Amino acid sequence: MDKCIACGTCAEKCPKKVDDFYNARLIKRKAIYVPYSQTVPLKYAIDKDNCIYFKNGKCRACEKFCEAGAINFDDQETEITLNVGSLIMAPGFKSFDPSRYDTYSYTALPNVVTSLEFERILSATGPFMGHLARPSDEKEPEKIAWFQCVGSRDMNRCDNGYCSSVCCMYAVKQTVVAREHSKVLLDCSIFFMDMRTHGKDFDRYYENAKKEGVKFIRSRVHSVEALPGTDDLLVRYVDDNGHLEKETFNMVVLSTGLEIDENVIELSKRLRIDLDQYHFTQSDSFHPVATSVPGIYACGAFTGPKDIPQSVMEASAAACAATERLAPARNTETRAVDTPQERDITRESSRIGVFVCNCGINIGGVVRVPEVAEFARTLPNVVYVEENLFTCSQDTQDKMTEVIREKGLNRVVVAACTPRTHEGLFQETLINAGLNKYLFEMANIRNHDSWVHADDPDAATEKAKDLVRMAVAKTDLLSPLQQTDLSITQSALVVGGGVSGMTAALSLAHQGYPVHLIEKSDSLGGNALTLYRAHKGEEVATFVKELVNELESEDLITIHENSTITGVDGFIGNFKSQVTNGVSKEEIAHGVAIFATGAKEYKPDEYLYGKHRAVVTHSEMDQLFQTNAPRLIEARNVAFIQCVGSRNEEHPYCSKVCCTHTVESALEVKRRNPDADIYVFYRDMRTYGTREDLYRKARAEGVLFVRYSKNGKPVVSADGDEVKIEFRDPILNRTLAVQADILCLATAIVSHRDHAMAQFFKVPMDADGWFLEAHQKLRPVDFANDGVFLCGMAHYPKPIDESIAQAQAAASRALTVLAMDTIRVGGIVCSIDAELCSGCLACINVCPYIAISFNDDKQVAEVNEALCKGCGACAATCPSEAPILMGFNNKELYAQIKGALAA
Amino acid sequence: MKEDGFEPRIIAFMCNWCAYGAADLAGVSRLSYPPNIRPVRVMCSATVSPHHILRALQDGADGVLVGG
Repeated sequence: MDKCIACGTCAEKCPKKVDDFYNARLIKRKAIYVPYSQTVPLKYAIDKDNCIYFKNGKCRACEKFCEAGAINFDDQETEITLNVGSLIMAPGFKSFDPSRYDTYSYTALPNVVTSLEFERILSATGPFMGHLARPSDEKEPEKIAWFQCVGSRDMNRCDNGYCSSVCCMYAVKQTVVAREHSKVLLDCSIFFMDMRTHGKDFDRYYENAKKEGVKFIRSRVHSVEALPGTDDLLVRYVDDNGHLEKETFNMVVLSTGLEIDENVIELSKRLRIDLDQYHFTQSDSFHPVATSVPGIYACGAFTGPKDIPQSVMEASAAACAATERLAPARNTETRAVDTPQERDITRESSRIGVFVCNCGINIGGVVRVPEVAEFARTLPNVVYVEENLFTCSQDTQDKMTEVIREKGLNRVVVAACTPRTHEGLFQETLINAGLNKYLFEMANIRNHDSWVHADDPDAATEKAKDLVRMAVAKTDLLSPLQQTDLSITQSALVVGGGVSGMTAALSLAHQGYPVHLIEKSDSLGGNALTLYRAHKGEEVATFVKELVNELESEDLITIHENSTITGVDGFIGNFKSQVTNGVSKEEIAHGVAIFATGAKEYKPDEYLYGKHRAVVTHSEMDQLFQTNAPRLIEARNVAFIQCVGSRNEEHPYCSKVCCTHTVESALEVKRRNPDADIYVFYRDMRTYGTREDLYRKARAEGVLFVRYSKNGKPVVSADGDEVKIEFRDPILNRTLAVQADILCLATAIVSHRDHAMAQFFKVPMDADGWFLEAHQKLRPVDFANDGVFLCGMAHYPKPIDESIAQAQAAASRALTVLAMDTIRVGGIVCSIDAELCSGCLACINVCPYIAISFNDDKQVAEVNEALCKGCGACAATCPSEAPILMGFNNKELYAQIKGALAA
Repeated sequence: MKEDGFEPRIIAFMCNWCAYGAADLAGVSRLSYPPNIRPVRVMCSATVSPHHILRALQDGADGVLVGG
C-alpha cells in the first residue's frame, strides 16, 4: 500500500467491470478500484470477489502495468489485537431497501430511484458527472416527485415505526439542488405526511423552497405505474380533500429511511450491547452516547436516526465520554521527534534545487520530463536539477536530504503532483536536511497538467515548463518562516449552570482540568428545573439533583453563582475574563470558554394566556404534573395547541421540542385520568426519531390530533372556568368547537439574545438570536473564534438528551486545546507593516477570524498570530498593501505571474 | 486550435481549499480541458486583490480566473 501512488493505471487496464456500489450501482467500476475519489488514504484495492486472477488464476494485468510495483496478490488479512480502555461504536446506517414496497415498482422501473441514487445522480463524481439525467434514457427530467417516509413511520410494510429524521430535509435540499442543475425550471413535488424540518435554519429552507415553487402535497402515495409507450411514471394518490388524483412524472425519488445493518446487529450481540426494538442502542436520555456495556460508547445513526450536525456532535461527545476514565493515561505513549538544527540561510544567496518527477508514466507518459528538467537548469539561481521516477519514494527522499546538504541547496522545488497531498512529505524532508520547511514550492505538473492534457503532449510540456518557471520564480523570493510555541492556561470557563453547562464542566473536570462555572442566578439547574420527564420517561428533577451534587463535590470545579461576565481579554489558550457577583470582582484566567447560556420559554399574548386560568404553557403544565395538581384528575377535556410563537413571522423556526413534549404530556394526562378527552391542534407533528413511538401511542390511546394551517389558527374564548376552542376540521371541512378545562400552549423556545456575551467573546449570533457555530454541519460546537465553544439551547432549541450530547461534545472540543501544553503559532500568517498602516480599520472588518486588533497607542492594526489562519483577506483589502501574507506575499505572487507569462 | 490561431493565456488564482482541490480532482478524474490556464495557488480567494488581477493583465494575460 505504501508504494501505490493512486495513478489509476491499474483500474484503467483491469478488464473486469463490476457494479459500483458507491454510485448506487448506477454505473460500473473495475475490480481494482478506489471506493470514491476523495478516499483517504487514496490507495487502490483489489476486490477479491471479482478479480479475474483470484477467480481463475490468470490475468495480473494490474501488476504488469503498475510502474510503482504496488500490486501485492499475496497480501493477507491480518488479525490485530489492540488493548484499549474504551471502545466507540460508529457503524452508521444502511439506506432502506424499497424493493418490498411492491406498488412503487422500484425494482421494475429504472426511473424510480432511491434518494441515495438521486444524490449520486446530482454529484459531480456521480454516474452522469453532475448532469441531471434519469437512468432509463439519460434524458434530463423536467418533472420529479419525491415520496417521503419510505421505510420510515411504517409498521405495515416494514417494522420501522420510527421517523428517520433526515429525509424531509434532504428531500427539500434535493429539490433545490436539482433545480440548480436543471436547464428548465424543474417541476418538483414532495409527497409527505408531516414536514419535519426541525433543525437549525431548516424551516426557513423549507419555506424558501415553497416560495420558489416546490409543491408540497400532503399524501402518502399509493402506487407508481409505467406510462405505456414512455419511460414516464403514473402516480396515483389521494389529495388533502380526499380526491383520487393521477399525475405523470419523468422520475420518482423514494426518500428512503435509515436502518441498522444486520452485521451491526450481529456485532452488537457479540459485544453484548443491548439494542431497542429498532436495533438502535439502548441508552437513557441523560447518557446519550453510553451503551449497556460500560466502556463501550456509541454515536451517529447507531444511537438513533440523525443528521450530520447531530452525528458530528455525538462523535465528539463519545470521544469525551470514552476518554474520561482514560485521562490518567493521556500522553503516556507519546514520542517526540528529533529534528536537526535549522540552518541559517539569511546570508546565503539563493541556491535552488529542482526535482522533476515522472510519477511512473503518469507525468512522463505525457510531459517530456527530460526537456522540462533541461529547461529548469536554465532558470536563474537553479544550481541542481534531478529527474526522478518517483520523487515521493523513500529512497528519493533520503537522496534529496543528502543532495540538499552536499550541494548546499537552500530552496527546493518539486515538480510533481499536488501540494495538497505531498507538500507535507517534502517539507519533512527539508526539515530533516536542516532547512526551514517554508523554503519549498511544488509545481503541479500531474493533476493540473499531464492528467488533464493527455491528448496534447506538446502543450502539456510547455505548460510544465511554465509551471516550473513560476515555482522557481516564487521560490527564489521565499524566506524562512518561524513558528513559535505559546503556553496555554489549562483551565476552562463555562458560562451557564443549566444541564448543558454542568455536563460540560463535569466532563472537563473528569478529564482532569479545573473549571470555573459562571451562573447568573442563585441556583444551578436552568430550564431543567421546570421539566417533568425526558422523552424516554426518566424524571428530570432526580437527574438534575444528582448532577448538582456531583458538581458541588467536584474539587476541580469552582462555582460562581449570581455572577456575570463584564469583560474578556485574550485569545485561545490565554483568556482573561472579568467576573462579578455584584459584591466583588474577580479576574479569571482560562484557556478555553464554553457557552451554555441556554434559552427561555416564550410567554405568548394570544389564546388567552395570562388572562384565563385554564391556559398554561408546557413548563407550567409540567409543574402541574410534579405537584400532582387535582385539576389534572378532574379535567374532562384537555387541549394542546402547537407552534405557539414558533414557525411564524416573529420566530420563523421550529422549536423542536414541543411536539414531543405535547405527546408525552398527553400520554401522562391519559395515564392519570384515562377518561379525559385530549385534543392536539398541530401544523406538522414533528416527533422525530424514535419519538414517533410516543405519537403513535398517543393516537392509539385516543388522543385526537387536528391539523390547522398557519392562516387558520384555532380561536380560543373564555367560557366560565373552561375555554372554548373553535377550529376548522380539515377532513369534515367544517368549523367545530371543543371545551377544555386545561389548554396547554406548546410555546416557542426563544433566545436570551445576550449581545454582551457575543461581543465579549467576539462570536456571532444569527437573526433568531442563536449563537452561530463555525460550520453548521462540520463544526457544530466550535465558534470561528478559536478556543470558544458552544452547547445546549444557546445554539438552538433542543431536548435534554441532545443538550447533554452537545455539552459533552463542547467539552471534547475544548479538550483538544487543554490537552496541549502549548499552541504553535506563526508560519503562513499575516503580518502588518506598521510603516504602511494608515489605521483605516478595513482589515479588522474583513478578518473572519477576529485575528486583527487596533493598537490605540501606535494607531496601527496588529495581527494575533495565534488566531490568524493565513487567508490573506486583509492583504487584499488594505489600500496600502500593509498586511503581508507570509509565504504568499505580493512580490512572490507577482513573480509567479510574471513567470507564467514569460514564454 | 482556433482558426485565427489565437490562444488566450489565462492566469487562474485558485483557493487552496476549494478551487485548487477541484482542479486536482479534475486530474484524478482524468477530465480534459484546454491547456491555456496557468494556476497560481493562494490560501483563500479573498487574498486576491485587484492589484493581482491588474498585474496579470499588465504582464500580458488575456484573461484572469479567480476560483474560490
